[in-house]
Amino acid sequence: MPELGRAALVVTLGLVVYALVAGGAAAHLGRRRLAQSAQNALIAAFFTTAIASVVLLAALVRHDFSFAYVARTTSEALPTAYTISAFWGGQEGSLLLWLLVLTGFGAAAVRLNRTWARDLIVWVVPVFAAVATFFSFLVVAVASPFATQVAPPDGAGMTPSLQNPYMLAHPPLLYLGYVGLTVPFAFALAALLSGRLDERWLIATRRWTLLAWTALGIGQLLGAHWAYVEVGWGGYYAWDPVENAALMPWLAATAFLHSVMIQEKRGMLKIWNVLLVILAFSLSLFGTFLTRSGVVNSIHAFTQSSIGPWFLAFIGLTVAVSLGLVFWRLSQLRSPTRLESPISREAAFLFNNLLLLALCLAILWGVVYPMLSEAIRGEAVVLGRSYYDFFLRAFGLPLLLLMGIGPLIAWRSASFRSLATTFRWPTLVALVAGVVLLVLGAGSSIPGLIAYTFSAFVFATIVMEFARGTRARKALGAVSWPAAFSSLMARNRRRYGGYVVHASIVLLAIGVAGSSAFDSVADAKLTRGESLAIGGYTLVYRSLDERQSANATEIRATLGVSRGGDDLGTLEAGKNAYTIERQVSNEVGIRSDKVTGEDLFVIAEQINADGSVNFRVFVKPLVNLIWLAGLVFLLGSAITLWPDRREQRRLVARAGEVGLPATR
Amino acid sequence: MARKASPARLVIALSVAAVLAVFLLYTSIAGGGNPSVAPSALQGRTGEVQLAGLVVGPVTGDAHAGGLRFRLKDIGSKSKTRVAVRYTGSVPDLFKVGRHIVIDGRLRSGVFVAEPGSMITKCPSKYAPKQSGDST
Amino acid sequence: MTIALLLAVALAVACVVVVAFPFLMEPEPETDALDELDEDERHRLELLEARDRALGALKELEFDHRTGTISDDDYREQIGQLRREAAAALQALRRGDNESRTEAPDREGRPIGGRT
Repeated sequence: MPELGRAALVVTLGLVVYALVAGGAAAHLGRRRLAQSAQNALIAAFFTTAIASVVLLAALVRHDFSFAYVARTTSEALPTAYTISAFWGGQEGSLLLWLLVLTGFGAAAVRLNRTWARDLIVWVVPVFAAVATFFSFLVVAVASPFATQVAPPDGAGMTPSLQNPYMLAHPPLLYLGYVGLTVPFAFALAALLSGRLDERWLIATRRWTLLAWTALGIGQLLGAHWAYVEVGWGGYYAWDPVENAALMPWLAATAFLHSVMIQEKRGMLKIWNVLLVILAFSLSLFGTFLTRSGVVNSIHAFTQSSIGPWFLAFIGLTVAVSLGLVFWRLSQLRSPTRLESPISREAAFLFNNLLLLALCLAILWGVVYPMLSEAIRGEAVVLGRSYYDFFLRAFGLPLLLLMGIGPLIAWRSASFRSLATTFRWPTLVALVAGVVLLVLGAGSSIPGLIAYTFSAFVFATIVMEFARGTRARKALGAVSWPAAFSSLMARNRRRYGGYVVHASIVLLAIGVAGSSAFDSVADAKLTRGESLAIGGYTLVYRSLDERQSANATEIRATLGVSRGGDDLGTLEAGKNAYTIERQVSNEVGIRSDKVTGEDLFVIAEQINADGSVNFRVFVKPLVNLIWLAGLVFLLGSAITLWPDRREQRRLVARAGEVGLPATR
Repeated sequence: MARKASPARLVIALSVAAVLAVFLLYTSIAGGGNPSVAPSALQGRTGEVQLAGLVVGPVTGDAHAGGLRFRLKDIGSKSKTRVAVRYTGSVPDLFKVGRHIVIDGRLRSGVFVAEPGSMITKCPSKYAPKQSGDST
Repeated sequence: MTIALLLAVALAVACVVVVAFPFLMEPEPETDALDELDEDERHRLELLEARDRALGALKELEFDHRTGTISDDDYREQIGQLRREAAAALQALRRGDNESRTEAPDREGRPIGGRT
């Protein structure tokens, strides 16, 4: 069956090359049937990629070790769910997944927009096909998932730390994000190529961008959660290049999501928006490259592979072509609308963009600096945690504050008087919160205190907005408060969905501040019966047990936990020794307090021969707000993504008025 | 509409400048990071560096009492240099002889004394061909 | 092995058919030109967008005023300008309509939408 897989991928390559060439020719020459043919080719490419994917999936599930890839990433004893996840666990499979999602999204984007944005689609097809050509080329010629070998009796198995539910969802979500950013990118280039620089490309891609951005965000949170519970060093983010690889495009996409609103409302920033989406897509390619090429020192870095130079070349080509197109259309992109006042929502959004981009570029600098310094000075210089933490605070804290200010300033220009009235109450809340927190001892970390105070401010503005909006709606004649609230949400999904997302970021900020600025840690070597006290808790080391599971020997130290005399149950921490993979993994014990949201985090660092154990214990205040933030984030995104019939009708009517068909 | 220089654009321009200034100030004051060197290049260096190498046995001692002792050699190259390392603090699970690790610290009287807890092990390669002889 | 080869060949043939489909369905089309918007339509689209933007801005100003984000003074200041802009956009559209109507009265109808 590998032959079928290989053949399917070759057919895919043929299809996308055709779609690229024929599509480009059709768009340039204005040939309808050729354009349709190119479109069909792009859609067919999804099906052929799907066939190749099914072949690989079947081989995995069947444990067919004649597939070199299957032998390398799974073993007989591996549970089925993880066997399936091995699809994207290795280099070749993950590239195939990229291609599958890419062709899938391309097919969908083209189908959904084929009538009302016909003149854009005709150019979107070749752009999408170009990206697909690169990835198909990689899986056909450079890193094929269908290499065969003499089947060994058993596979090499999967790294134990990857055998975790979070690792099932983390890569696919990230890929939905990375690949999802291709859609707005393709539409932006199509707009440039076709000269249709109106806002249609923005409208067509708004939900795609939002979806990709949400997937990227949730994917990163899942990754952070995995790092927290599975890798278990006590943290959730290490500023590792691979982590930054996903954060950078997410930050650029966040900036883009905000600045498109300015273009929609005021017709400004056309050039900026195009540049931003090119940056976001390039960063997503760069991120994909970073996780594969081994050019940076990373805990996840993978050794030298031949894929790196290809990626770099493609990224370079993409950036060069995109910038060239922008330059070509520069005069048509200029807009006559000017920024009227530094105190306006436009200005707030511009500051937001500036800070997001500054953070993104600072992180990028931190990631490439070792490579650059090695190239220039012959020695790689690595920037540590303190570099990233500094810029996260320097740019992130003002950004947090802006989240509360932006939505409440008027467009065009706002007077100081109206600002004073609007912000009176939230400022008061923030000041009171700040004082209370100082009294409670939050002064031990100034950045932490600032984060809390700003969070209180933003939260107050969000509550205020919901309250005022509901009241205004009720005054217009809604029957009851709940009815007013739901009709408010229904009529202003973007605005209030956005507020919910902001609320999730506030929760995230509070969780991060609490767990990183106000945490405590204790190290101790305990023999049976000894205890250790930290942050109000007392832990007693009770016993050490060993047991066997399907694929590992598990050693667990049991500790009794109490706080202020109350028995809080037991915690287990220890290690798993995986038989086939011959690796040991850390299994931490976490007790999450439902009321305060803090975690008691126990690592059994070293289990000694005499039965004593070296423990490292953390108390992490408010850390569970981070995971809660993920749920709120999803809710907010869902609200914003929800189809808006009113808006649909307006767009359809507008399209009808220029003779574009009324159906979408 | 006459185009006058709007204060708004000035404010934006100043903000961009401010951001750049923050960046430049930080990098010049806090300085760059630590150079990342291979064991063979360590000889004679006095400052704090990040050492990247392959773990060579024998591994003795206790990282939580007195220090874990092992040696590091270059990854990939044929260099014969072996650097003695003394490490205290958390030892990552993946640590073992033959593993590729990265560790911060400085050279003191011939022994590389590591910053406690600074060891990072590289995950075994997912995205590169495994060496032969790894499967059962 | 041979099954795989057969399937692969079938796949390739299917793809060729799919790609050639538009040509197979219409070997002698009336016109092969892409159905694109011409200058007038594109201009009209721009005017429509300007109109929608102006109307949207008005709605948002009203909403912000009703919820209290914008003070009465600011509202009074801005409403005038926004109303003027909206009126100008509607004017431009109507003018564009009349022009295209007088220019080509016998142009075959793509529906241009409701008119006064």
